[in-house]
Amino acid sequence: MLTRSIRLSHCVHLLALLYLAGSVPGALRAQDPPTPMKVMASSKGPQYLPLESVRAGVVRMPAALTRRVTVALDKVPLQRVLMEIATQAGLGLSYGEDLVRAAPMVSVNIAGKSAADALASAVAGTSWAVLVTANGQVSVGPAGAPLVGMIAGQVTDRESGQGLEAAQVTVEGTQLGQATATGGRFTIANVPVGPHRVSVRRIGYEAQTVSVMVTDGATQTINVALGHSAVSLSEVVVTAAGTERAREVGNSISIVDLSKERAPIANTQELLAGRVSGVTVLANSGQAGAGGSIRLRGVNSISQGNSPIIYVDGVRISNAHTPVSVGGHGDISPINDIDMTDVDRIEVVKGPAATTLYGTEASGGVIQIFTKRGHTGGAQATFDVSAGVNNMGHIGVASDSTGMFVNQCSGINTLGDGTRFQDATCPSSGSWLRNGPITRYALGVRGSTEANDYFLSGNFNDEHSVLQVGENKSGGVRGNINVRATPKLTLTLNSSFVKRDVRWYPDGLSSNAFLLNVSRGSGSFFKGAGCTDATAVCVLDDSIFTVTNTTTTNHFITGGTATFTPSEPLSVRLSAGYDYDVADVTDITPFGHLRVPLGSIAETKWDRALITFDVAASFRHALGFLTTNTAVGAQTFDSRLNSTDLSASNFSAPGVPTLTSGALRNIVNVTEQRVINAGMFGQEMIGWRDRLFLTGGVRVDGNSAFGTGFGLQTYPKLSASYVLSDESFWSPRFVETLKLRAAVGESGKAPGAFDAVRTWDPVAAENGQSAFEPSQVGNASLGPERTRETEAGFDASALHGLLTISFSYYSSRTSGALVPVTLPPSLGFGARQLENIGVLQNHGSELSVNAQLLSRRNIDLSAGLQYTRVNSEAGDLGGQTITVDANSLSFVQQGLPAPSYIGDQITNPDAIADPVVAHNMFLGGTFPTSIISPRATLRLWNRVSLDALGEFQRGGHLLNAIGFANEGLFAWQPCFAVQTKLRSFTAGNTAALNDVTALDRGRCAIASSVRSAGFWVEKNDFFKLRSVSVTADLPNRLLGSSKATSITLSGRNLYKSTPYTGTDPESADQGVNTFSRRDYYIFPAPRTFLITVHTSF
Amino acid sequence: MTPTTRAGALATLALLAACDLKVTNPGPIADDQLNNVTAVPALVNGMSGDLSFALGRYLDRGALASGELSEAGLFIPETHYFQGSFVPQDVNADWGNMQTARWTAESGLVRMKQVLGAAFETNVNTPRAYLYGGFANRLLGENVCVAVIDGGAAQSDSVYFQRAESLFTRALALATTANNTNVATAALGGRASVRAWQGNWTGAVADAALVPVAFVFNAIYSTNTARENLDLATQTITRSESSVFGTVYALNNKEPRATWDTVRTGTAVTKGANGTPVFRQTKYKTLAAPVALTKGTEMLLLRAEAALRNNDFAGAMTLINQERATYGLAALTATSTAAARTILQSERGLVLWLEGRRLWDLRRWLAEGTNTFLATRDKCLPPSADEQASNANLR
Repeated sequence: MLTRSIRLSHCVHLLALLYLAGSVPGALRAQDPPTPMKVMASSKGPQYLPLESVRAGVVRMPAALTRRVTVALDKVPLQRVLMEIATQAGLGLSYGEDLVRAAPMVSVNIAGKSAADALASAVAGTSWAVLVTANGQVSVGPAGAPLVGMIAGQVTDRESGQGLEAAQVTVEGTQLGQATATGGRFTIANVPVGPHRVSVRRIGYEAQTVSVMVTDGATQTINVALGHSAVSLSEVVVTAAGTERAREVGNSISIVDLSKERAPIANTQELLAGRVSGVTVLANSGQAGAGGSIRLRGVNSISQGNSPIIYVDGVRISNAHTPVSVGGHGDISPINDIDMTDVDRIEVVKGPAATTLYGTEASGGVIQIFTKRGHTGGAQATFDVSAGVNNMGHIGVASDSTGMFVNQCSGINTLGDGTRFQDATCPSSGSWLRNGPITRYALGVRGSTEANDYFLSGNFNDEHSVLQVGENKSGGVRGNINVRATPKLTLTLNSSFVKRDVRWYPDGLSSNAFLLNVSRGSGSFFKGAGCTDATAVCVLDDSIFTVTNTTTTNHFITGGTATFTPSEPLSVRLSAGYDYDVADVTDITPFGHLRVPLGSIAETKWDRALITFDVAASFRHALGFLTTNTAVGAQTFDSRLNSTDLSASNFSAPGVPTLTSGALRNIVNVTEQRVINAGMFGQEMIGWRDRLFLTGGVRVDGNSAFGTGFGLQTYPKLSASYVLSDESFWSPRFVETLKLRAAVGESGKAPGAFDAVRTWDPVAAENGQSAFEPSQVGNASLGPERTRETEAGFDASALHGLLTISFSYYSSRTSGALVPVTLPPSLGFGARQLENIGVLQNHGSELSVNAQLLSRRNIDLSAGLQYTRVNSEAGDLGGQTITVDANSLSFVQQGLPAPSYIGDQITNPDAIADPVVAHNMFLGGTFPTSIISPRATLRLWNRVSLDALGEFQRGGHLLNAIGFANEGLFAWQPCFAVQTKLRSFTAGNTAALNDVTALDRGRCAIASSVRSAGFWVEKNDFFKLRSVSVTADLPNRLLGSSKATSITLSGRNLYKSTPYTGTDPESADQGVNTFSRRDYYIFPAPRTFLITVHTSF
Repeated sequence: MTPTTRAGALATLALLAACDLKVTNPGPIADDQLNNVTAVPALVNGMSGDLSFALGRYLDRGALASGELSEAGLFIPETHYFQGSFVPQDVNADWGNMQTARWTAESGLVRMKQVLGAAFETNVNTPRAYLYGGFANRLLGENVCVAVIDGGAAQSDSVYFQRAESLFTRALALATTANNTNVATAALGGRASVRAWQGNWTGAVADAALVPVAFVFNAIYSTNTARENLDLATQTITRSESSVFGTVYALNNKEPRATWDTVRTGTAVTKGANGTPVFRQTKYKTLAAPVALTKGTEMLLLRAEAALRNNDFAGAMTLINQERATYGLAALTATSTAAARTILQSERGLVLWLEGRRLWDLRRWLAEGTNTFLATRDKCLPPSADEQASNANLR
């Protein structure tokens, strides 16, 4: 293989050397120039080193250079002196035309000195430098030109021998490095001459370090075979303090490596579900494009949200979802705006013990997304194209053949009280459902030029719902550019832009919503004429789709990082980032609408910006057995939010309206907020024999939302890591690698922008005259809530890497929790005031097990299990029960999970009797307490992969508000039989209820005095088969010019098992912005089938 | 420390020093910015706005609780009010809104005294502020069971009427001095009612006689912003949450003081979400319809009731018929105090229909033994769940 230097200018100079022909013994002829670029290994061809390094003894002095020479020449051209020395010592000499042209005049007077010393004194004081080879060849060139060579080679899997793509090859102590390209190839140019250590790392493999001697203009070839390891202690993780080796880190960090995922993944929340322990992902909505809730290790805050903070390529982006579409009951999560085909890996940092240095707001954890970087060598492209469908199975209980009148809407249908109805607009298929097409395209190009490497990509995704309306269309571009300005300075610029148009179907608790109207049958709000049966109630549910609910977003993220490594131990990083997300959320009820004939429009114009400055420096030092790493840094986060709610109603005529189309117009609300958080941290890590590491750190934060009497906040952390398996007494017979770790740390969450000050809202009164009303009481001593977490665990690899286990136990306590305290309303201020009074406690454990069950020539079977246990409990709350949402029966109360359902409970559920009801009972915690995600991957003939991922969630509860509401309207099919018996009993048949339990009598009650929502709080345990995929790698001979093509067939949500009687155990109609959850007419998520072709060329 | 680390540390410190955490956010107004003469008009408008808001939000629920309307939707608090059950949880909004209206007026007056100093009594806004304070206290007194002032202990509900009378008296005096007849007359009307509720019928009659029959003083509503909308119109015109169906007012669709119509889907009367046919009140046709706080016809009925208390049923009927004539209705006759009382109670219901006054009338008549509508129902709003949970003086 011919590797070519990227530093062409330097090479050209060497190529242009003129050689003394015949005039000097041993000299080469000009017609026969050396070709240093063709070197493949250190043993071949001349390798020039600076004369100084030879004299300093870095390499053995060639014999010719030790020969004594005597030269006395006054004011002669330099080449004349050099030729004299070469002749006397028998050296081969070469120099360029530029030396002849410049002809510097020198004087030399030496007697009996070595040729090396003579050469040195000859060029001393000139702008020329001497290079020598091990066999005594001497070359002269301009001094000052950096002397660089190249390192090239291949990284392979030790077992299969196949090249490994995306391995990180780094020249230690420099910013030089490359990710390997297809086939595992890499070339690192411009490596300063001299000895170097090259480290090779890849997720899932043990890292290796190789020593090489780089010489000027030459290429060192190294081939590295990596062995498997799921517990790679040499792996590098990115922390707030910079990059650290996994072995040094005292807390658990979960890494998801996208290169291992063969099935297409729609977005980040889909990726995280089931793949990382300690992560709870709740879908909320089945709408295409809707954002879900992500929780790391449960909930730490009652009032300030529990969404993790998000970093993309080292730059923080806002974690705020767009405003919820009132009609669509969905919002867009910013984390889903990062296209999965752009992502290289995701690191999940879960608790405050690990997130301390990220400062205030990090108590909900941190998700770091790293997008792809450039490859070495020429451009390499990948193209992914997917096509498929969203498809809805049966809705509701199996015994309901109409599937809540959604699966089947034709003809005459009947409610539980005998009311007959007909839908004149039921589609000719007899069902409201259809297959929603999905298309996805992604094109990525990565490569490198002389001093840059780049990754450029574009994508387009379009997904339709299973109803007549509902679409999520997005397109985005990304450019990641890495510039190695000098060997010491690297500049990185990562930018992405995504435009998204979501059309929601009307969903949730809204009189326009699809499931609300259709499932109520004759109780639909859309009634009219046109039915064939005049005796039946005539509904026109097709009118549901005349409203338009849309969210459009433009999300721009750019971040630049300069990394300066002035000397090997010191590294300084400076980052600036700008995240700008604009959304327009519009709900249009058109003129002529069945329910609102004159129509209306409501629009929210929202934008959010987060500006980040981040500087951090780390200094590594070794003292005997001890190593230290000192890191300091400072950050500012400037967060801005603008939101304007506008509405208009009473249009004059049909057509597509704007806000000025309505006769009545209203500026409903305007929010303009800015919060600045600034802080600094210091961290000191001390390592002993590279196996025991102690790390202490502190973070100091100020925040514009803290009360005036509060000042700066300090958050400490301490962690330890001990690689027990590195000890000499350790026998690696069964367990090769064992790392013990423990950490304790604090983090916090700041209150909102205005919570600390007493304010009044400007309002209108007396028909549009200016007025004030009381807004916020204010609390000058308001500060952040603080979460302290203690975590301990281990990472182990056993049975020659066939089994890897990672375990963590954690316990956290949030004190001074910001609790919205109700002040006596008789004091005038109606709004609740945040006070630092609450205590929340969480504890749980996380287990991650991966096993290589079978590894043969043609068959490879592996399995994994992620286990998460979260126990959350509210501690002292200042004596009060906090109402999260009374209509959802959602409260936070001391001693119970936060939040919990509290309400009416039937104390004799199984008795054949009338229900006995106890009030204000704990009905269950809202969030799941354990999540188990099994996964299995089978690979056959190195060509075909089968992968299945499932997820169990247990311990959570959900208010089946749709069941409660529809039961009262005689539209809940599972209650039909009981309600018939209840009517029969009322009519005098005393035996009618002889087989009806108290629970059924309560849940299916007809009398409003008996009915209660509390009876409908149900366990929402479930198992879902999250994804199943089959991937086939096509043989190269079929492919022509393209290098690799694979085809994947995949399915999502193919199977669901749950005792929950509502439509979907993951539904919640209140989105992510509130703490409470209830399933209230949310249309469930469909299953998805996709075929994907992945080609790289 | 190497020179480079020193430089890095210095750069870090410089970056921190450069960041200023001070942020000025637009929108909400800091409390001290209200301590300004120029802020006074808006402060008093705010008192009016808070009163209109509290009354407007309560009208629908108050009507449901007192047989003026029937619940047609599925809202839980409204269903409870309709069933005659005041659950402290459900009362949160009304209790809070009414208390805010009272507090903004009373605390606003204290602020105005500080800000205006000697000019306080002559400021054109001062009589209005007293007037809104009076009506806000009357709203509480007529509808809640106990008086709680500024986080204090529970007191007799008559405390609100005492405060209202005192505030109306001040409004009357200052408005009279300023020749503001409108405010002065409204203060008389307000004071007449709260004097009667405290048993001072003589004083009530004296004030009531000074209010012209055609006089009306309204709480203002507007389509300008959603907060200014009359919520009762939203619940009955825009939505179908409450219906006249099932009330005594549904029996007569020709009654000019309690007007309603029906909405039909095809030929059938449209039903609300809970199945109740929607008989739509049309007393307030728009979201900007004003609601009377006091009016001349109410004063006639107050005087008639005072006459009845003295068994002067003839005098009472004269005043009642004077009231009916203003609406173009024929005179009625009664030959006994009891018969006249039945007519009076019905007339008060019609004249004050959907003005948030019925619950108090039914409550005091129940106490007098002349009406049983509330006999098996909750009679007044208890302190809200929020007040009970947060006010240590109530435990």
